[in-house]
Amino acid sequence: MSRRRLAAALALAAGAAAALVPPPVPPVVLAQASIPQTDGWVLVVSRCVICHSVEIAVQQRQGPQGWGTIVDRMVTYGMPLEPAERRTLIAYLVRHYGDPEGR
Amino acid sequence: MSKRSQRAMTRRGFLIATGVAAMAAGLEPRRAVAQTPSAPPAPIPGKERLIVRSPRPINLETPLGELTAYHTPEDVFYVRNNYDAPVISPDQWTVHVEGEVDRPLVLRLDDLRKLPAITQDVTLECAGNGRAFHRPRASGIQWEYGAIGNARWKGCRLADMLELARVRPTGLHVAFGGADKPPTAQAPDFIRSVPIWKALERHTMLAWEMNDRPIPHLNGGPVRVVVPGFIGSASNKWLERVLIIPQEFDGPFMKRSYRAPRAEDDKETYSLQSLEVKSLIVAPAAGARLAPGRVSVWGWAWSGEGELTGLDVSTDGGKTWTPGQFVGRWDRYSWRRWEFGWDAPAGRHTLMARATDSLGRVQPSSRAFNPLGYRWNVIHAATVDVA
Repeated sequence: MSRRRLAAALALAAGAAAALVPPPVPPVVLAQASIPQTDGWVLVVSRCVICHSVEIAVQQRQGPQGWGTIVDRMVTYGMPLEPAERRTLIAYLVRHYGDPEGR
Repeated sequence: MSKRSQRAMTRRGFLIATGVAAMAAGLEPRRAVAQTPSAPPAPIPGKERLIVRSPRPINLETPLGELTAYHTPEDVFYVRNNYDAPVISPDQWTVHVEGEVDRPLVLRLDDLRKLPAITQDVTLECAGNGRAFHRPRASGIQWEYGAIGNARWKGCRLADMLELARVRPTGLHVAFGGADKPPTAQAPDFIRSVPIWKALERHTMLAWEMNDRPIPHLNGGPVRVVVPGFIGSASNKWLERVLIIPQEFDGPFMKRSYRAPRAEDDKETYSLQSLEVKSLIVAPAAGARLAPGRVSVWGWAWSGEGELTGLDVSTDGGKTWTPGQFVGRWDRYSWRRWEFGWDAPAGRHTLMARATDSLGRVQPSSRAFNPLGYRWNVIHAATVDVA
């Protein structure tokens, strides 16, 4: 992405956010939880945080089925996620935030 | 373009732009795996002593050691928000009352103040309080002990407001909607309903004061619902709409969440209403080192729709039980302080508290797994060393 397009995207985000109540996500939210930077982490810090802080996700421990159910619900709530990204995201969550006793 | 679709468009633009920007920012470092442990999130102004379970939406848990006052002060009262907390001026606030009524209404705060005022102490507890203790792990915010607080609420009876609207005989449930809006057009509004018997019950209220001050916006001000005895999510915050309907509200916060099977292997789930009978040991804290001799063991007990009938204490890990005493003020739907004088001998001891209520309920020693992690009222234990 060019610098100009990124700037335009940020400006759009700021402008659109200004029209919303509640106020936009403070940038600090993205920086608060540091998570392992393995394959899939970018999906957490770019898609999950559209609606909520990273903390909401990473405090949970779920097996593959549990994370799959959560991710699929988030897609119905508007999270953009391609099928390949879905597999990557679930694998990431299970790897780092799995529950050995869980489904 | 309609207002609704305009809003949806704006939201979608916001989504895509934020996502792309965040991704661009996220891709920048390109470092190898960095296993930095997570720093705790920054404290929330005005609620600095609370555990930040999530900074967005704001979800804050009261540390057990802060639950020392009968009226939980505003600065340590827990916050459980499904969506971002809207800020609404009391002067601008209105509520729409509609649905199965002969007289739909739009009321302002001044209109509610003209109804007979009531003040009562009510304990609110999140249905997911204790979720972190479920094994296997349950999904949702990982509350431990402190998604609970007791406050003095002032407001009017919901029944008095419903009488103004003249509810029709077909109105059997009352749904509440707040100004807390979801962050995407597709995510559902946080709307929940209670059956008409509970809506008309004389303790169910619309509140505008908490502990003798206007309700803080993080806790639902200027006006929130308080449904005493029910799980916290029944008490919608930032109230803006009261919808009288023939059946339980048909939305995911009634039909998907806030439900649990009655037994672990049940396929069917029921919609949670009453809180469980439950108690906490506030002092001594788990891990405390005490001198031998007289120790005051104390905590809180509560029971939703039941009334407390007893609180037993064990100092030997549950082998034997002795009645504790309820002390101090209480109200129909408040928690009650309990105390137990213990002559502590040297050694390691596990203290336990177990409440019972008028519905015949006793705190259990285990709780069947339910995937969303509700109903955690397992006997609280605190192990201490006396030397």
